[in-house]
Amino acid sequence: MKQAEKYLWIGCTAARSNLAYAGEVIYRSTFIAVILYIFMRLWTVVYAGAGSQRIGGLTRPQMLWYLVITEAILMSTPRVAAEVDDDVRTGRLAVHLIRPLSYVCGHLSRAMGDRVVRFGINLAVGAVIAFILVGPIPMSLPGLAMFLAVLPAAFLLDFLGMFLIGLCAFWLESTSGLVLIYSRAVMMFGGMFLPLEIYPAAMQPALRVLPFASMVSAPGRMFVNPSFRHFGEAIVIQGCAVVVFAIVVAMVQSIALKRLFANGG
Amino acid sequence: MSRGVEIRELMKNFVLTRWSGLRRRVSDVVAVDGISLSVPPGQSVAFIGPNGAGKSTTIKMLTGILHPTSGEVSVLGFIPWRDRRRLAHQIGAVFGQRSQLWYHLPPGDTFDLLSRIYSLKREEFVRTRNVLIERFNLGSFMNTPVRKLSLGQRMRAEVAASLLHRPKVLFLDEPTIGLDVIARQELRNLICEWNRNDGTTIFLTSHDAGDIEHVAERVIVINHGQVVVDDNVAAVRRKYLGAKILRVQFHEVPRPVLLPGVTVLCSSEYEWKLQIDTAITPVRRVTSAVLDAGSVADIAVEDPPLEEVIARIYCESRREVPS
Repeated sequence: MKQAEKYLWIGCTAARSNLAYAGEVIYRSTFIAVILYIFMRLWTVVYAGAGSQRIGGLTRPQMLWYLVITEAILMSTPRVAAEVDDDVRTGRLAVHLIRPLSYVCGHLSRAMGDRVVRFGINLAVGAVIAFILVGPIPMSLPGLAMFLAVLPAAFLLDFLGMFLIGLCAFWLESTSGLVLIYSRAVMMFGGMFLPLEIYPAAMQPALRVLPFASMVSAPGRMFVNPSFRHFGEAIVIQGCAVVVFAIVVAMVQSIALKRLFANGG
Repeated sequence: MSRGVEIRELMKNFVLTRWSGLRRRVSDVVAVDGISLSVPPGQSVAFIGPNGAGKSTTIKMLTGILHPTSGEVSVLGFIPWRDRRRLAHQIGAVFGQRSQLWYHLPPGDTFDLLSRIYSLKREEFVRTRNVLIERFNLGSFMNTPVRKLSLGQRMRAEVAASLLHRPKVLFLDEPTIGLDVIARQELRNLICEWNRNDGTTIFLTSHDAGDIEHVAERVIVINHGQVVVDDNVAAVRRKYLGAKILRVQFHEVPRPVLLPGVTVLCSSEYEWKLQIDTAITPVRRVTSAVLDAGSVADIAVEDPPLEEVIARIYCESRREVPS
C-alpha cells in the first residue's frame, strides 16, 4: 500500500509541476483549434463528395470528435524517451537509483502525472472547438466507462514504448532518431488523422493488431462510437501488448543497468 | 564488519570496446584496483582524487548503483548492490550538479514527496523538516519555486532534502560547486554541524581544498583506482609537505636572513613571508634567526595551503603508478 502511495505522490507532484505551466499548456493546445478547423473543412468536402452520411462507420460530427480525442492523446505525449536518454547520458540516473524506488515505476508515475494534466487541458480546448463547430456528441454511461477503461492502458502502452526507446541510450549515441520514427508510426498506424476503417482492407487486420492502434485509435473509437465488440477486442490487444512491452522493458533495463558506466562524476 | 563503511579488496573493471575500421578491439579498463578501507560511524571523510581516479565508481558501488568486479563492501551492514532499496532508506546523497528538487515547485513540495518516497511517519517528518528549516534557514523561501532561488539557497535546500529521512551515511559530491565564498562557508558549517549533532557519517567528494579542510577529519586520496593516502587532514599536511610558512612583521627594517632551505615568498619593508623546507633547516633555527634580524612585532608559523598538499600527492602518485 505504501509502495503504491509513493508512486501516486510522484504522479500528483508531476501534475502540480505541470500546472505551474498551465498558461503555456493552454496556449500550446490552441493548436488543436487550427487542426480541427482545417479538418472540419476537409471532412465537409469529403462527406459531400462521397455523398454518404457515414465514412468508416462515423458521421461527420463523430469524425471531428474522434479527431479531438486522438489529437488530445498525441499532443499530451510526455518526453519520456528524452528524459531517460538524458538520465543515461548525464549520469542523472544515479539520483534516481539512490532512492528506494523502482526506476521504471518512478518514470511511469511522473509520465502519468504529466499526461493527465496535458490531456485534460487538450481535451477541454478541443471539446469547446468541436462543440462550436459540430455540436455535442451523444454519449452513454457504458460508452464513457469503456473509454475510461481503454485510455489508461493506451497511456501505459505509449509510456512503455517510449521508455524502451530511452533505454536505447545505453547503446546509441542519440535516441532522437528513434523517437521521431516512433512518433510518426504512432501518428500513421495509430489512426490519428483517419480511423483505421478508412485504410485499405488488406492493411486493416495488421493495423488492428499493432500496438499503435491501441494507443490512439482505440480510445478515440470508444469515445465516439463505443461497442462491446470493439471494447473487448481493444482490451485484449492492449493487455497482450502491455505484457509483451513490460517483459521487454524489464529485460532491456536489466541488461542496460549491468552495462552502466560510472565515469564522469 | 562494523556498522560503518567497510571495503575490502574492491575492484571494478570496465570493458571498453573500440572499433578500428571493421576490427573490434576489446580492452579492460581498471577503474578501481583493490581498495580496502574502513570508515567508522559518524566520521567525516573526504574522498578525493584527480579526474578519472575512480572515486565516482567507488561511491556508486557504495550506494549500490554499480556491481563490483570483485571484493567486499558493507555499508551499515548492507551489501549495497544486493540490498540497494533497503540501503537507500539509510543513506542520502547530494550531487552538486544534479538537482533532486522539482524545478517548478517550491522546496516544500519536494520535501513532502520525499517523505512519501522514504515512507516517513507524518509527525516524524514534520519534526525533522522543521529542524532542517530552522538550521538551514530555509523558512523565507520554502514556498518559492526552486527556479526562482539563488544557487546558495537551492544548495541549502538540496542538502536539507537529502537529510529529511535522517540518513546514517551522507554522500556529498561537489556540494559547494559554483557557490560564492559566503554561501560555501555557510554550507560547510551546516554539514559540519549536522555531522556533529546527528552523528551522520559524511563521505565528501570535492576538488575544493576548502571543503576538505572545513568538513573532513580524514582524507582518503585515490588515484589510478588505488588508495594513495589515508590519514587525518592535519597529518597529511605535515607528512606530505615538509614545509612551513613563516609570516613576520617587524617594527624596523630587518637585516637580511640567508639560510639554506628558506625561500622568500613575498616581502615588503616591514613584512616577510618565508617558506621553510623543514628537512633542510628546522623551524626553530629560522625563527631564532628572524628574531635576531630585527625587532619583531608579530610572528606566525602556518601550514601550507591544503591545495598544495593535494597537488603534490597527485603528482607523486602519478610518478609512482605509470598510466
